[in-house]
Amino acid sequence: MSSLFDLPFEEPEPEPVHAGAPLAAESPLARRVLTIAQLTAKIRVLLEGQFADTWVEGEISNCRLWNTGHLYFTLKDTGAQIKAVMFRSALRYLKFKPQDGLRVVARGRVSLYDPKGEYQLVCEYLEPEGLGARQLAFEQLKARLAREGLFAPERKRALPVLPRKIGVVTSLDGAAIRDIIKVLRRRYANAHIIIRPTRVQGDSAELDIARAITAIGRVRGVDVVIVGRGGGSAEDLWSFNEEVVARALAGCPVPTISAVGHESDVTIADFVADLRAPTPSAAAELVVARKDDFVAGIDRLSRRLDAVLDARLHRLESRLRGLEARPGLGGFPARLAGHGRRTADRSHELRRALNAGLAARERRYRTLQLKLEGLDVRRQFQRVRTRLVSSDASLRSAIVDHRHRAQQRFLGAAARLESLSPLAVLGRGYAVCWNADRTAIVRSAASVNAGERVQVTLREGELTCDVVTRTPARPANEA
Amino acid sequence: MDTSIKDFEAAIAELESIVKKLEDGDLSLETSLQLYERGVHLSRFCHARLEDAERRVEVLNERGELTAAPADLGADDEAPGERGRR
Repeated sequence: MSSLFDLPFEEPEPEPVHAGAPLAAESPLARRVLTIAQLTAKIRVLLEGQFADTWVEGEISNCRLWNTGHLYFTLKDTGAQIKAVMFRSALRYLKFKPQDGLRVVARGRVSLYDPKGEYQLVCEYLEPEGLGARQLAFEQLKARLAREGLFAPERKRALPVLPRKIGVVTSLDGAAIRDIIKVLRRRYANAHIIIRPTRVQGDSAELDIARAITAIGRVRGVDVVIVGRGGGSAEDLWSFNEEVVARALAGCPVPTISAVGHESDVTIADFVADLRAPTPSAAAELVVARKDDFVAGIDRLSRRLDAVLDARLHRLESRLRGLEARPGLGGFPARLAGHGRRTADRSHELRRALNAGLAARERRYRTLQLKLEGLDVRRQFQRVRTRLVSSDASLRSAIVDHRHRAQQRFLGAAARLESLSPLAVLGRGYAVCWNADRTAIVRSAASVNAGERVQVTLREGELTCDVVTRTPARPANEA
Repeated sequence: MDTSIKDFEAAIAELESIVKKLEDGDLSLETSLQLYERGVHLSRFCHARLEDAERRVEVLNERGELTAAPADLGADDEAPGERGRR
């Protein structure tokens, strides 16, 4: 590769020399001859002393990365160039890849390379000019916030399906707010929008934006916030790359949508927000579905709801007809016929009602339900069973009554019997005398012998007695 | 507003699950009618919520006050087909 540096320095425009040799000859004592090394050393002192820490800007060319890891290139602008090197140790801190044609600002020292008699710029630091420096800041902030977890997918919140109030943080002057309002009006005419105006570019605009996000997040009923602005230069959009905006978005109590510039513009705000919209209009489309779609969705569900119940109803109707046709449902046929007619009427009315809206439909179903309850065989069984159960109960109580009465009667009779019982006489002081084995009552003294044993029952207790003497009764006493 | 319904989302979700339950469940007539009634109630709630939001554009100022938005924002332009709704 041919380089200008491979060529000898061009000879400057020759000064008119009056007399080269005579000049030297004039003052031979003043002549002081230096070696090349000495001269080079002097130049080195001059150069390196003067340009020990220098900032310079230019365009990179002839950029080559050597396998030693050092980067050699030329910095040039119109009419001048300087050789430059960046050693591996400095190179590895660089956030971007230097390449030909890139305009950079370099910081370094000028150094002389003795063997070749060349000077070069030893670069310590390089940054791309203009946006490039910011790009660097962008990358750095992005990496830091990512490490903090601010962009983590699990932090992303779902947007409300139907927001109550939609917060918008943007400038009142831009096209963005008009786009947002227009789209929202078209999709969801009665959307409630609350705008927190803010500067979106210029000095410290990021502080305004951050404050606005915090303020709108506190408004009651606001359940989603759009933050953004229309398209502009990268510098115009820069505020949305500032950390303070990122923090405000992360701290917003309700879900956020970023909508900065155009599709191709990506800002730090896009990474932090819960959802990134490519443009403000797109944000308005993302924030709420079309009202028509909502209505259609709900109606679809309502129709399915009705269809299920209609099917159910038809099954019941055919079951009714089956019941009507069944013989041997003794007692019922006449009533069923009546009910059946009315039910058929009802069904007819019901079908009309189906077209007349939900409210009427609901009432009809209720009415029909009552009719069906009257006819449902299970219900009939239920009724019979209820009757059975109740008669069972009265039977039971009758039995109890009867038993009670019988008991009363028995007790009365027992009392009467007792009053007639010979045993009752014992209470009055009489006793009963039995033979020894209690098989017979001793009625006559003659029926026992002296020395025989007898049992005597008293009102309280028994006696076992031995007969000492016996005195047979006189015939007169026996009467 | 019905306190048994949390919000629009919850209402839609419940309505969906009721429809599903009715569609694939072998439920008693009584239960079916109860679910149907609830379903009708939910769908009315959703329709009401859709009409509920106020058609309004407001500006939150530095002092935290809400004021009507400037007319030039197009907030009052009627969307096509919306004319006469208000």
